Amino acid sequence: MSAKKKIETVSNKINFYNDEYYINRELSWLQFNSRCLSEAKDKATPLFEKLKFLSITASNLDEFFMVRVASLKDMINAGYKKPDIAGMSPKEQLDKVTEAVHEFQNEQYRVYNHMLLQELADNGIQIVREYDKLNSEEADYIDRYFDDFVYPVLTPMAYDSSRPFPLIRNKTLNIGALVKGKESNEMEFAMVQVPSVLPRIMEIPEVSGVRKIMLLEQIIQRNIRKLFLNYDIVCCYPFRVGRNADLSIDEDEAEDLLKEIEKQLKRRQWGQAIRLEIEKGFDKRLLKILTDELKVEQREIYTIDGPLDLTFLMKMYGIEGFDYLKEHGYNSPAPVIQLPSDRDIFECIREGDILMHHPYESFDPVVRFVEAAASDPAVLAIKQTLYRVSGNSPIIAALAKAADNGKQVSVLVELKARFDEENNIVWAKMLEKAGCHVIYGLKGLKTHSKITLVVRKEEDGIMRYVHLATGNYNDSTAKLYTDVGMFTCAEAYGEDATAVFNMLSGYSEPAVWNKLTLAPLWLKDRVLDLIKREADHARNGEPAHIIAKMNSICHKDVIAALYEASSAGVKIDLIVRGICCLKTGIPGVSENINVRSIVGNFLEHSRIFYFENGGSPEYYASSADWMPRNLERRVEIMFPVENPGLREKLWHILDTELHDNVKAHIMNKEGQYVKVAKRGDLINSQKIFGKEATELSKPKNIAESRVFEPEYRDDHGL
Amino acid sequence: MATDVFAAIDLGSYELEMKIYEMSQKKGVKQIDHVRHRIDLGTETYATGQISAYHMDELIRILTDYNKIMEGYGVTRYQAYATSALRETRDNDTVLELLRQRTGIEIDIISNSEQRFLDYKSVALNNERFFKFLEKPTAIVDVGGGSIQISLFDNDTLVTTQQLRLGVLRLYSTMQHIQPPHSKYPMLVRELVESQLNVFAKMHLKDRKVENVILLDDYVSPVLQRVNLGMDEKSYASARVFVDYIGTLAGKSLTDTAKKLGLAQDNIMLMYVSGLLLSNILSVLNAETIWAPGGTLCDGIAFEYAERKRFLRSSHNFEQDIVACAQNISRRYMGSKSRSETLQTIALNIFDSMKKIHGLTKRDRLLLQICTILHDCGKYISMVNLGDCSYNIIMSTEIIGLSHLERSIVANVVRFNHDDFEYYKDGGYRFHGIDHDAYLTIAKLTAILRIANGLDRTHKQKFKNVKVAVKDKELEITVDTMADISLEKGLFGQRGGFFEQVYGLRPVIRQKRF
Repeated sequence: MSAKKKIETVSNKINFYNDEYYINRELSWLQFNSRCLSEAKDKATPLFEKLKFLSITASNLDEFFMVRVASLKDMINAGYKKPDIAGMSPKEQLDKVTEAVHEFQNEQYRVYNHMLLQELADNGIQIVREYDKLNSEEADYIDRYFDDFVYPVLTPMAYDSSRPFPLIRNKTLNIGALVKGKESNEMEFAMVQVPSVLPRIMEIPEVSGVRKIMLLEQIIQRNIRKLFLNYDIVCCYPFRVGRNADLSIDEDEAEDLLKEIEKQLKRRQWGQAIRLEIEKGFDKRLLKILTDELKVEQREIYTIDGPLDLTFLMKMYGIEGFDYLKEHGYNSPAPVIQLPSDRDIFECIREGDILMHHPYESFDPVVRFVEAAASDPAVLAIKQTLYRVSGNSPIIAALAKAADNGKQVSVLVELKARFDEENNIVWAKMLEKAGCHVIYGLKGLKTHSKITLVVRKEEDGIMRYVHLATGNYNDSTAKLYTDVGMFTCAEAYGEDATAVFNMLSGYSEPAVWNKLTLAPLWLKDRVLDLIKREADHARNGEPAHIIAKMNSICHKDVIAALYEASSAGVKIDLIVRGICCLKTGIPGVSENINVRSIVGNFLEHSRIFYFENGGSPEYYASSADWMPRNLERRVEIMFPVENPGLREKLWHILDTELHDNVKAHIMNKEGQYVKVAKRGDLINSQKIFGKEATELSKPKNIAESRVFEPEYRDDHGL
Repeated sequence: MATDVFAAIDLGSYELEMKIYEMSQKKGVKQIDHVRHRIDLGTETYATGQISAYHMDELIRILTDYNKIMEGYGVTRYQAYATSALRETRDNDTVLELLRQRTGIEIDIISNSEQRFLDYKSVALNNERFFKFLEKPTAIVDVGGGSIQISLFDNDTLVTTQQLRLGVLRLYSTMQHIQPPHSKYPMLVRELVESQLNVFAKMHLKDRKVENVILLDDYVSPVLQRVNLGMDEKSYASARVFVDYIGTLAGKSLTDTAKKLGLAQDNIMLMYVSGLLLSNILSVLNAETIWAPGGTLCDGIAFEYAERKRFLRSSHNFEQDIVACAQNISRRYMGSKSRSETLQTIALNIFDSMKKIHGLTKRDRLLLQICTILHDCGKYISMVNLGDCSYNIIMSTEIIGLSHLERSIVANVVRFNHDDFEYYKDGGYRFHGIDHDAYLTIAKLTAILRIANGLDRTHKQKFKNVKVAVKDKELEITVDTMADISLEKGLFGQRGGFFEQVYGLRPVIRQKRF
């Protein structure tokens, strides 16, 4: 690596690429999941929110297995030995990860058993632990439910010399049983999948003043003998298998790995089991059959003290009557004052650039922007990139309508968005039918940028309106993810936006970019340049400060550049929600770097960058994290924010998050995350942003308002 | 609405380019979109004279898309030009018709001289910088795929322009035959281009001094936009520093260079070859400064349209460039300046007084003017075969800004000034490519030129002041002169016959003695 050598020689013999200065990304991700779990432990979190956080950690972990652990397995199978950012071989990584996951899972169930169950009981909810201990009324109800609804959809399967071992699908919950023929003494393996078409949780009609919840697998276990009538049931237990099920290699992996695996395609084991979850007390004989058949190693067996697959807790969140145990301290999205719904949106944008901070400010204007464009007779064309959209998306509907109205509509639909592919294909086809020009992604690259361009023919010529954002055009997630988006009709942005869509349509790059920087061609170098410029300023004794907020940082070149900048005296504040392979507090390397992570009610998703630049600061927002996949294998956009008012707003976001002492964790010298010491006023940045947005959207003076606003009883939307 | 949205399309030999412009009196010309698609037609058509079905499909696909983009901006007018790749395609008529039918876009093929003239006009879109640069003796070096064009300026007027078959794709494909290591490129390129450049210098440069070079090309210009080479402003470079810079590339990895400059990898070899070529040109011209304005043919097309629609007014007179070019050709063949000036005065005088009768355009007037300038160039070869020789000289000399057809008109008019007129039906090879309208133009211009020539039979410029007026069925030419004009009067009838045949007017001379 030539860049590596260069930096080695430049800076006083410190090798900023030294493996010891880096944290393995999988382990760092697990730390992130622990931070999510810590929200479930936090006393200040309302009970039902705790359930939600615990559920999130469980589904996160499932995805982690499917994608990342599977990837490590692939590497090991392919004999790929290249060390990661921290110098660990795939095998070392897998060892460490496995160990950490075991620990993590224990912690999850400790929280579940010792904290949440008790708290639920205090509030009159009981999750049935032993399925055979129901009173007769309850038993009656449950068994009838089994007979009427569950039984018809079950497919019991047996396994013996004449029948092959049944296929156990990835992530499904199953019940394994040992059965014995009524007349023989031989034990056989049998199993049944817990159907995913039925709700996992079942509430038993209240009789004892306690609301009892029973899990579907327990209902089946209770009645399992009805499935194997000619057999005696020796024992039955639920289990769950995680498989290397991802058909494509994770895009995070290096290209040479892809080649390596292609070469060794035959050695790749499709659908290999990489995780077996069993309940504590699982029968040993049963386990032996499973481990033999699934070929899982001992350490891949996770023994669980409690119900498997905690994602059912998300369903619990939805049960009625416990609204008082949910979070209401966060305001719902406030209208954007610059974009009142009774005014022409284009006219508003012409008055000046507008920056929105979602979800504190409503995402509606973005939808309205596309909708207005669809029916505005002056609009000639609409172009948009779509990565993940909600089902039933109003944006899709607006685009289709625009095409119907004779506008030229071009949409780039990213089909490679993880786990979303099928969904995307459906509406992409619908758009095509409506007459839109649909581009189904780019070969070899994921299009992750979020940009919309509306071309309008106005009295004094063509006007281009551009929306640039850090988050997807998804009106559902826009209520949960924090993102920033900017509207502008400045010519320089308009020209660049046009050039972006030309490039996405397969045409050559423009001679120059005015404002935007695009990955994979330019962004990485631009980021490195910005960091290096800051280092130069520091060396010249000028003010030098970088604040960077993003989801993950794990690009070695970028981190090395940050180390170098830090050692040159640049103050660096990173606000990283997820993976961070950078270590703080290494003497001479990263003493000037602080890393904090905010895990809260909303998912921190915006990417905002501040460079002090010797006293003339620059602000950027971007769709890209500082990860190899974003900077090298995706189409991403970074855009500067130049309007002083908007910069102030970005500064306020960064500044408030840097002072957050409620939801922020700080990385200590050991690389562990600890909650910030609460001194002085409690600062929960997400709450503050919400309050501010609501405050701002209120009319300044009630007397000025020409419309009376009736007040309603606040019943939290129920 | 006083705003026009105009699209210019250039179907080049390795790229299909479209630019969209917005034009208005108030704002002038503003580019709003620029789309480029790489398609290597040149290599194919230069070699085979055909465009493969594969490339036709690609052309149809992209042009259809371009049409959509035009719609997306509400384009009201467009102009699509094809250049050398299509010129060298044998069945280009069917190709163009197919493209028209399938994509709805009509494409015209333009000649090299028109193309270069438009390239040159593209620079003029940068009005102020252009004229500032022209204050010093300047050459425009226009590097194309197949050939290059060097045009010399004198006091902001174009004086000469020459095409040399040293296009960058041509050089590059020669190099690919040899497959040298890239450190040898400088030497090989020099050997390939040196002799032609020296001939150019000897013939046209003489002791003319060139300080500034305006570079029109696709590969080196982006480099000048990105690196500072001895000048403060981007897109300018000191010739000396530029030559040094290209010299240093011999020892570097071109891939790294491309990455560093943010240039497309697949263009980097062409950039290198262009750079070496330009280095050689710079040393032959002895230039000091380079400016790469970065305009393309599309800008020239837009400029022309904007000028025609009066969205733009340039202080530079481009017609004067064409005239100056013709004058320079005439000088080369030792034409008489004073004679052609007299001829020009009389001929244009006649042209102007007959506006209502001849129905010719302003452009035809320019052609007439060029005819008068070149009317006797053939005498350089032969005093006897004056008509034929003039025709051949004109046909083989590029006159920048004129299309092939226009050049053909001029050559024929000059020929018929000396030789008998040939009628369309029995026209020989010289009427090749002349359509019916062009034939009529030839006839009309010939009639005028013959009259003018007749008035100056003795080449003594006897007529200082000529007034022309149409009266009934006569064209009355009143001349102020004390000289004896009996020769002119006597021979006038002969020439007047053809004029009468064409215009239905009898030309008569009246002498006014003062």
